[in-house]
Amino acid sequence: MSDASTHALEHHEPVTSTGIPNKKVLMWAFLGSDCMFFGTLISTHLIYRKISATVGGNFLDIRDVFDIELTSFSTFILLASSLFMALAVSAIHKGNLNSTRWMLFGTIIFGAIFLACQVYEFTHFVHAPGNELTLSTYRGEPHVFGSTFYVLTGTHGTHVAIGVFWLLGWLAYSFTGKMSTAHALDVEICGLYWHFVDIVWIIIFPVIYLMEYAM
Amino acid sequence: MSGHSEDPVAEESKRFFTFFNLSMFLVAITGIEIVIIYVQTFDSSSIIGVLFATSIVKFIGVIWWFMHLRWDKVLNTILFLMGLVIALATYFAVIYMSDSHPVVEKFEVAKIEDQWKAKHVYKSNDFVLQQDAFFQAKLDFESGDQFNPKNWKKVKGIPHSISYRITGGADTIEINSLKPETPFFHLSHPQGEEEIEASTTALLASSATTADFRLKVRSEAFWTESQ
Repeated sequence: MSDASTHALEHHEPVTSTGIPNKKVLMWAFLGSDCMFFGTLISTHLIYRKISATVGGNFLDIRDVFDIELTSFSTFILLASSLFMALAVSAIHKGNLNSTRWMLFGTIIFGAIFLACQVYEFTHFVHAPGNELTLSTYRGEPHVFGSTFYVLTGTHGTHVAIGVFWLLGWLAYSFTGKMSTAHALDVEICGLYWHFVDIVWIIIFPVIYLMEYAM
Repeated sequence: MSGHSEDPVAEESKRFFTFFNLSMFLVAITGIEIVIIYVQTFDSSSIIGVLFATSIVKFIGVIWWFMHLRWDKVLNTILFLMGLVIALATYFAVIYMSDSHPVVEKFEVAKIEDQWKAKHVYKSNDFVLQQDAFFQAKLDFESGDQFNPKNWKKVKGIPHSISYRITGGADTIEINSLKPETPFFHLSHPQGEEEIEASTTALLASSATTADFRLKVRSEAFWTESQ
């Protein structure tokens, strides 16, 4: 059993037949279902990319629109945020409230930078001259790429935003003086969600972005 | 699986280095992914293979260490893998279905304006134009020197030929007129042919072109339309 579970049990979390706190089982079950959700969105994008590969009679070369340097930067940022999150969980287990606070703050900042990059990216894709990738068109021609791309990456961005708000809640709570190792399990569950958001991006970045450069 | 230590603080301190090393490893792998894309030395299938492999390595790294599955009970891993397996199965199933889908190679609607000819072999239901009127052959025959109305039936409307060629197989082919003034509907169910080439005729109230019709082809989960 992880230390979080151990601490939780020490702090009177209900004993369960699985030996795992219910909150944690619930989060893992949710993450499993979210896997199916993102699996569907990624599949939809890839299949439409394959069967709707042309626009106006020419191959749709989305590399003209993508800004791979920016996306690579935001990928590194999200990976780094996962390190901060893991260290925040580690710190709360050790009862180091100050360190927990700083690591949560780091995760929030990096999550916010990722979101800012995505907002800039979407704005750039839709409005920059020569891009004009909207939900239903590409450079004025009807095409499904924008629809599947924005829904997939936008859903991921929404998950990141929810994670940032959740972390902000814990950061604010840490200043109330009530936070202790008794909350290690709750912070760990928040961490599970954050790492999940990271692994979804680990799939999206090569499959949706980098693969375009390999074709 | 249990990594519970007698001293949780010492255990967490050890994990700090695990997390840091893993993070550096993930950054390095992501860097490699980007570099191989920029260098473009390898062929695309090799690049895609490397991207898949590195993604799987990073994925496992995060769930195993960052998400504590290495130290957690196996039930959590099973719960997560159940979702992951269903997601992957869905992906491969849909990819499999998209591998074969019908493509409309040709779809043409044209007015039949063949003038009647002497000494010509006609088949039953052939259409001809004779003195500004359309006629349909009643039987198979060879025409004489003069037009013989006994062999022909005068028809109301303008005959059109509708021809199409479809590759990739089809279960259902549906042709509709898009103009209310020239109603037409045709449905057929080919039996397993990979390439389907066929034609039919339609008597329409006025002249029509390909743009006035829609061809819909269904194969497994796919509908393909001519427009």
